[in-house]
Amino acid sequence: MKTYKTFGIATVVIGILTVFMLESCSTEQVTAYKNKSGAQLWGENCIRCHNTPSPAAYNDTDWSTIGLHMRVRANLSKEQSEKIFDFIKSAN
Amino acid sequence: MKKLILVIFLGLIGFGVKAQVNDFKSSKTQFMIRGYGHMGYENVTINGDKETTYNGGTFAPIFLFKHSDRLMVEAELEFQINEGSLEVGFEYANIMYILNDYMTIRGGKFLLPFGTFMERLHPSWVNRMPTKPLGFGHDGIAPSSGVGVELRGAFRVGTSTINYSVYNTNGPGIKTPDGVEPGEAGMLAFNNLIDNNNSRAFGGRLGILPFANNSTEFGVSFYTTDKAGDTGSIYENLGANLFALDFSFVKQLAGLGGIVDVKSQYNKSKVDNMIYTVEETPGEFENLNFDNNSNSFYAQLSYRPTMSGSEFISKLEFVTRYSTLRTPEGAGWEVNKKEYSFGLNYWISWRSLIKLNYQSITGEGGHDTLGDFDQKGLYLHWAIGL
Repeated sequence: MKTYKTFGIATVVIGILTVFMLESCSTEQVTAYKNKSGAQLWGENCIRCHNTPSPAAYNDTDWSTIGLHMRVRANLSKEQSEKIFDFIKSAN
Repeated sequence: MKKLILVIFLGLIGFGVKAQVNDFKSSKTQFMIRGYGHMGYENVTINGDKETTYNGGTFAPIFLFKHSDRLMVEAELEFQINEGSLEVGFEYANIMYILNDYMTIRGGKFLLPFGTFMERLHPSWVNRMPTKPLGFGHDGIAPSSGVGVELRGAFRVGTSTINYSVYNTNGPGIKTPDGVEPGEAGMLAFNNLIDNNNSRAFGGRLGILPFANNSTEFGVSFYTTDKAGDTGSIYENLGANLFALDFSFVKQLAGLGGIVDVKSQYNKSKVDNMIYTVEETPGEFENLNFDNNSNSFYAQLSYRPTMSGSEFISKLEFVTRYSTLRTPEGAGWEVNKKEYSFGLNYWISWRSLIKLNYQSITGEGGHDTLGDFDQKGLYLHWAIGL
C-alpha cells in the first residue's frame, strides 16, 4: 500500500509541475523556445546521455538513420529531432 | 578522326563515371551497425580474496535497419568473455513505427523505460563508471528488458517537454525452491522471453523536462503484474508491483567552467508474500517466510572542465557514485549493501574514454555470500562507442 501511495504522490507532483509550467509560460518565452536553433538543441539534448557527437563522425545518410533511432530511443519530440539532425547534416 | 574518337571515348568515360556516381545515391532503405565495446584491467578483493585480471572485453553490435522515415528495426547482441568462455546475449530486437508526431509504437524485445539507467545509460561508453550501480544487472531488482508492445512519444507543453511510455510485456517469472537457483526463491526473474502464466505485465514511465533549456528531467515509472509464477504452480498468483523515480540534471555551467552531470534513480519492488520451503541440506527443509520488499538507489555526480584552457584538462572527467541495495530480510538472497565509487575518466574522443575507478562495496549478503561483505576494487577500462 505504501508503494502505491509513494507512486501516487510522485505522479501528482509531476502533474502539478506540469500545470505550473504551463501557467508560468509567457507568450514570448514559448516563442523563444519554439525558435531554438538546431545547434542549440544539439548542445542541450545530446549531453543528457552522452557527449555531443561530432557532425563529421557519420555521413548524411547515416545521420538520418541515427536521427530516427535517437528520436525513439531518447524520446525526442519531432521538432527537436528534425532541428538537431538538420543542423548536424548542415555542419557535416 | 583520331581526335573525334578520343573525344567520343572520353565522353563515354565521363558518362560512365556519372552513372557510377548516380549508383551511389543513397536509398531510403538504410542499414547500419553501431554499438559499443570495452576491455580493461581489474584488481578486486572480496572478503580478503584478491583477484586481478584483464577483462576480456565486451562487444555489443547494434543493428539498425531504416526501412523508411517511419519504420525501423533495431537489434543488439552482446558478446563477452565470462570466466574463460564466450557468452552471447540477445539484448533486444524490435520493430518501431512512428504513428504520428506524438506516438511511436514498438513491438518485440526492447529495453524497458523503468527509470533511465538501463534504457539510456548502461552502454559502457555512456556509463561514466565501469560497473552498474547496485540493484541493476545480475540479481538486480529493476527490469531491464521485456518482450511485448510499447507506445511512446514526446511533445512540447509551453516551454517544457513531456515524454511518456506505456507498455505491455510477458512480465516477470519468479524463482522457486525447485528451480535452478533455490537459494533465490522469491526473486523476480525478468528475462521471460515466453509468458509463463498467460498474464502480462503492464508498465510505463512519465518524464518531464520542466525548464526551457532541457537541463533537468524528472521521471516516474511503474511496472505491475498480478501473476508471476508458472501456470498451475502454487506460486502462480503471486503479484508484483514496482515503481521508480529518476532525476537528471546536465548543464554546462560557466561559473564552474564545465559540464555538471547529476543522475539518480530510486527503485522499489514489492512481491506478494509466500512461504518458500527450501532444502538447505539434503533431506533438511526450511520454511522461508519474509516480506518480499526490495529497494535500491543510486546517485552519480560527474564534472568535466570543458571550458579549461588546457586541452588535456578539458578531456578529464571526475565522477563519483553512491548506491544502495536492500533485498528482503530473511530471504536466501538477503542483501544490504552500500557502494562508494570514485573515478577519473579521460575522453579520447566524444565516444571513447578511459576510466580509472576505485570502488568500495560493503554490507551483508550477496550472490554466494553469507554474512559480512567487503569488496574493494580498482578498475581500468577502455570503452568505445561505434
